[in-house]
Amino acid sequence: MATTADSGNIKTQDAAVPRYGVRKYSADLSAVGEPWLWGLGGALALGIILVAGFLTMIFWNGASTFWPKPIEVVTLADGSVVAGEPRRSGIYRVGDALRETLSSEALAMVDANEGLATRVLYRSANFDLYGDDFRWVSEYQVQDVERPTDFYLLERQEWGPFVGRIVGVTLDGRTRDVATFGFGELKKIQGDARARFREIRRIEQKDIGAVNYYMERERLALRKVQLRHGPDSGQYRAKEAEVSARIDEMQTEFAAYQAQIVEIRARDRLDTVLLEEVGGRQKEQLLSEIVRLYPANDLGFLQKVGVYLSRWAEFLTSEPREANTEGGVLPAIFGTVAMTLIMVVIVAPFGVITALYLREYAKQGRIVSIVRVSVNNLAGVPSIVFGVFGLGFFAYTMGVRVDQLFYAERLPNPTFGTGGILWASLTLALLTVPVVIVAAEEALSAVPRSMREGSLACGASKWQTIRRVVLPRAMPGIMTGLILAMARGAGEVAPLMLVGVVKLAPMLPVDTFYPFVHLERSFMHLGFHIFDVGFQSRNSEAGKPMVYVTTMLLLFLIVAMNSSAIYIRNRLKRKFAVGQF
Amino acid sequence: MATTTTNNPAGAQGSDAHAFIVHRREKSTRKSVLLGDKVANWVITVGGLLVIVAVITIMLFLVSVALPLADGGEVREHRVHKLATRKPVAWLNADEYTTVTIRVAADGAVSAFHIPTGTFISSDQLDVAVAATAVAGVVNLDQVAFGFADGTIRFGNFGFDIRVLTTAMLPSGRDPLNERDSMALGTVFREMPTGDFRAVTPRWTLDAPQQISEHPIVAMDYRVGGTVERPTRSFATVDAAGVARVSRAVIQRNLMTGAETVRLTSSTLPTLPEGTVVTRVLMSSTADRVIVATDHGTLYRYDVRDFDNPVLAETTRAFDSDIAITSMDFLNAEHAMVVGGSNGAVDVFFRLEQPEAGTTDGYQLVRARSHENQGSPIVGIAIAQRKKALATLGEDGSVWVRYSTADRTLFRFQRDSDPATEAAMILMPRMDGVLLVDREGNVDAWEYYMPHPETTLQSIFGKLWYEGYPEPTYTWQSSSGTDVFEPKYSLIPLIFGTIKATVYALLFAVPIALLGAIYTSEFLHRRVRASVKPVMEMMESLPTVVLGFVAALVLAPIVEEWIAAVILSFVSIPMGLMLGAYAWQMLPAPLALRLGGIPKFLTMMAAILIFGFVAYRLGPGFERALFYGDFKAWVNGDVGTGMPFLFLVGFPLSFMGVAWGFGRLFGHQWRMKLRHVPRDTAGRWDFGRWAIFLVMAGMLSWAIAGLLTLAGYDPRGGFIDTYSQRNALVVGFVMGFAVIPNIYTLAEDALNSVPSHLRAASLAAGATPWQTAMWVILPVAASGVFSAVMIGMGRAVGETMIVVMAAGNTPVLDWNVFSGLRTLSANIAVELPEAVKDGTLYRTLFLAALTLFIMTFVINTLAELVRQRFRKRAFQL
Repeated sequence: MATTADSGNIKTQDAAVPRYGVRKYSADLSAVGEPWLWGLGGALALGIILVAGFLTMIFWNGASTFWPKPIEVVTLADGSVVAGEPRRSGIYRVGDALRETLSSEALAMVDANEGLATRVLYRSANFDLYGDDFRWVSEYQVQDVERPTDFYLLERQEWGPFVGRIVGVTLDGRTRDVATFGFGELKKIQGDARARFREIRRIEQKDIGAVNYYMERERLALRKVQLRHGPDSGQYRAKEAEVSARIDEMQTEFAAYQAQIVEIRARDRLDTVLLEEVGGRQKEQLLSEIVRLYPANDLGFLQKVGVYLSRWAEFLTSEPREANTEGGVLPAIFGTVAMTLIMVVIVAPFGVITALYLREYAKQGRIVSIVRVSVNNLAGVPSIVFGVFGLGFFAYTMGVRVDQLFYAERLPNPTFGTGGILWASLTLALLTVPVVIVAAEEALSAVPRSMREGSLACGASKWQTIRRVVLPRAMPGIMTGLILAMARGAGEVAPLMLVGVVKLAPMLPVDTFYPFVHLERSFMHLGFHIFDVGFQSRNSEAGKPMVYVTTMLLLFLIVAMNSSAIYIRNRLKRKFAVGQF
Repeated sequence: MATTTTNNPAGAQGSDAHAFIVHRREKSTRKSVLLGDKVANWVITVGGLLVIVAVITIMLFLVSVALPLADGGEVREHRVHKLATRKPVAWLNADEYTTVTIRVAADGAVSAFHIPTGTFISSDQLDVAVAATAVAGVVNLDQVAFGFADGTIRFGNFGFDIRVLTTAMLPSGRDPLNERDSMALGTVFREMPTGDFRAVTPRWTLDAPQQISEHPIVAMDYRVGGTVERPTRSFATVDAAGVARVSRAVIQRNLMTGAETVRLTSSTLPTLPEGTVVTRVLMSSTADRVIVATDHGTLYRYDVRDFDNPVLAETTRAFDSDIAITSMDFLNAEHAMVVGGSNGAVDVFFRLEQPEAGTTDGYQLVRARSHENQGSPIVGIAIAQRKKALATLGEDGSVWVRYSTADRTLFRFQRDSDPATEAAMILMPRMDGVLLVDREGNVDAWEYYMPHPETTLQSIFGKLWYEGYPEPTYTWQSSSGTDVFEPKYSLIPLIFGTIKATVYALLFAVPIALLGAIYTSEFLHRRVRASVKPVMEMMESLPTVVLGFVAALVLAPIVEEWIAAVILSFVSIPMGLMLGAYAWQMLPAPLALRLGGIPKFLTMMAAILIFGFVAYRLGPGFERALFYGDFKAWVNGDVGTGMPFLFLVGFPLSFMGVAWGFGRLFGHQWRMKLRHVPRDTAGRWDFGRWAIFLVMAGMLSWAIAGLLTLAGYDPRGGFIDTYSQRNALVVGFVMGFAVIPNIYTLAEDALNSVPSHLRAASLAAGATPWQTAMWVILPVAASGVFSAVMIGMGRAVGETMIVVMAAGNTPVLDWNVFSGLRTLSANIAVELPEAVKDGTLYRTLFLAALTLFIMTFVINTLAELVRQRFRKRAFQL
């Protein structure tokens, strides 16, 4: 090898052997190709840097989103005051139009910085008062920055967060002395009020939801009888009487729940806080509509951790609010997982059977090569094409037929005749089946021939051999394939946009009403949530933190699935390395 | 076979006649096992073939949805009946649902008929003193103006009241007309699929006469504009004396009494040459232009924007002077004008802005299309109320239904009645039929079905000349805010966008992925490789929605802000790596050998990071030095010349040129010379050579750029042009990032599967690892590597989310790296959720999906074939 020859030379050189002679056989610099090697290595290094940078950026932004940030009160040169969380800063070029409006000091600052200026984006919040969430503040505008300890950040059910002081507390209709309410007390009364809010939510969703659901079911049952026997038949009249009696019953139940809610609401209105933003404008705020509050500049480390964790808990376990830009993603997690599981149930037999066919049953020949070409093409077809197919074939062709046969009473409202979780899962099953086939085939071919022959020699039939010997042995490999398919399926968004993913699903695909699993319902999905919040919300800046966290969650799910697949595969390899005979 | 246990007792007896007979057992497989085996066999075979079924189903389904686009349509029915009136037809109208027609005779006799059966419904005689000599109406046919021989005009309204009734609201005593329709009290009731009934009642009014001229009116046109509260009625008239007028009637409705007062103002158009016979007159609904057609094929266009002062803006020839213009009308939306000639020609004119044409208002009538010649003088044109369809009536009784934009003749009908009798014709509002009534009372009613008249092969894959465009274009524009909008379904801009995105993505991805794969398989330290490979594999299943989000909301603003630094980094990072390499050559050999593994790789990373940072720091200065301080203004063409960019592009090319030239002329001597000095000295000399090359390349590039600029060449306007935030650069970068793992893993697999004895042999023969990789491994693995690139390309072609989010979704046809694009896949994702099922857009999007399917099918099949070839070759070695 060239390098050894080289190093040999150097040694001889050190030993003060005459310089010329041996060196003739050394490789020259162009043969080593150092610059070329650096080109190759640089490409790989660049790739790794990109991957690492990408993952770091997502992780850093995702992980830091929920950490409570300080509130800065900035006094500007023109005397106005801005209060908010500093979000990010950037450099920009000061345009000519802007320059003309600047004072001479500001101009001097800008000019000293080569015509550039630094600016900071503040989340000034208080959308209900300002009509805007964010404000850029340029460096040259700033006169003074301070972090007053009495500024609170309030996350509210509506209108987004509020930044300001709490200047009044009314409990049970009586005004209290604000000075007696520290962070702890405020947190406590907010917690009490919040419990009432949750109670209202529970009644609205669980109890009233159930009444509505059963009422709708009665109406559909009536319509079914009408369709079958005609509106003039005796059966219809009997059913009509029965249904109207039941609906009346439910109406009273409904009214009772309504009254209950009205009562709680009335109680709720007595607990308020008076807020004051930095400019002095005040706003009365129901305590129960405050999701979380904390004095941003007066938090100890443990309190910060507390806020951080409670935000994570809310994110993982509650429903979204404020057009998905705040709150949690529980329905999206649920939808993603449910869709992926249904997909696996469909794709597993399909993939494994095809792999068995290719490996164990088919005679190698033209048909097998056609199957292989099909698998490869299925793997290469763009995912959006599957979405188009899913919409046109599953929803609009099969679904419409299913509706006509089984859900005629709901027409013209489609049941299965539009996008839904079943069609989405079927579409993704088609999309991911090549992954399973390839992995299962690999796993089957890794089962030693001798084991098969041994089984057959003992008198087992072909199917017995496969079921008792081959499949158990190949199971880890097949599992790997399934997990990879799940990872692929969970991250796919484009086809889902066509076959049933929605921005906000009113009902989960699994609930407590018979038949418990509602395959026709549309659902939410983490990937689509990212797209929706990042691109279709009122203010993409307000949604950005949410997007980062959701992205991190989705990446985490997929990386976890992939890593477990790789782990299983590696274990499998090791096992076979020993187990071969 | 597996069922070896089914022994033949007789055979056993025969062969082992003397053996142990004591233990004879009935050895047979249980039925259930046999059955299970059979079932498994069957199920697995069928299941295995299901993949083929799936692929074929997908393809056939896409084809089956897209195919009706090419449907030629069908004629459902041609009904002929005879009405009980015999009077010249002045005006015809029919309701939206082809139920009732109103026929107005020139003498004011009005009658309504049931279209499917010709049954008489109601009639009236309007108080008209003299017969109408000219008639015109608005495009939905309700509002009509009549011109009379005494020089007066009258406005009329001949329309329908349409209500939906439930069964209970129906009047009793209806006379059945056919299986769906019945009639009572001058109203037709039609049963709808929902079980309710639609009631259609014809109604009419005629206003008082207004004196316009002393001579009979010979031609007129009538438009309605203004608002609902203050409608303006405009009309143009030509009287027998050849005087053309525009008139405007403003109607004021008294809110208290409901009475209407009409204020009429008229203005005479500049006189036409003596002896001109006017055949048709046409006016726009804004009443700012009037077009007069003559029997010598001439069109006079008047500019009436200044109402009191009309100007003859343009005189142009529609046909030769021996051909008369026999009919003329605006297509729906009034951008295009159809002219029918006495030779059977049907031509379409657009009014386009052409300042150099020399007309007074800067517009010009341009012949945009010549439709198929009907072979006999065109005596009537009927215009569709919604799309760009029209029907033309020939003197020989032929009725041709055409679709103008697609330049297509949809149907060719022939009148059943005598072609010589004068007839009026309308195109049904839903474009599903033509109705023709002649003065003898003969009715021809055609009902046809044509779901997608606007699509042809030409409209999807070719250039079409749309209204308002200066020339034929490839355009995709499926929807717009206005009612009169015409959807444009050319897939070419989308296919182009797909190719553009793919090309830019591969320009970025292929070098990084392939070079990285070669390094990984041939040079990388074992331990590093063990962790790099799985990470890259994992990146393959990274959700692209995440990449799209990063591209659009993080990367695009950064790139926009730091565009100069980004461009600089394309130069600085390779330069940094070269610097590192030449510096590395100067290291003493033992040290270089010891650090050759992981430390060297880390140095490479450091070089990239450092020179990336250098680009970031130098960015603003670089922008000032080369791009006048504002890259976006420069790229827009506002400031400076193309020289700086040419210099940048020329620099690496010049470097290569210089290096190649040196290698050709002195390469051998240089190598020989370096052999005779110690390694580190050789390294220093080589470093010096590189530095000199750089300087030379810089000077060469500067000179070439200067010369090209002097010669008037400017790269702006081609590959670089106006900057938009979401652009092909960002898409290429991120989509490249998405396909790098695909290409990388497949290429690495291909390189790895080259038999290791080849590698060993090459190294043993004295080749360096670099020489081995380059001249032994790569050629063997070339086809596998190529197939990896193809598969990466397939993925880039179909990628959706990144493009939806980061590409700006503008369907434009240019290679500008700083402008957006729209791919087939993004287009489907954006538009299909809103498309009406089985509508033209829906089917066109399925066609787009089919196109995508075929593109990837071809790419993947090619890759598969190449890969199989590679496998065969690798096994042979």
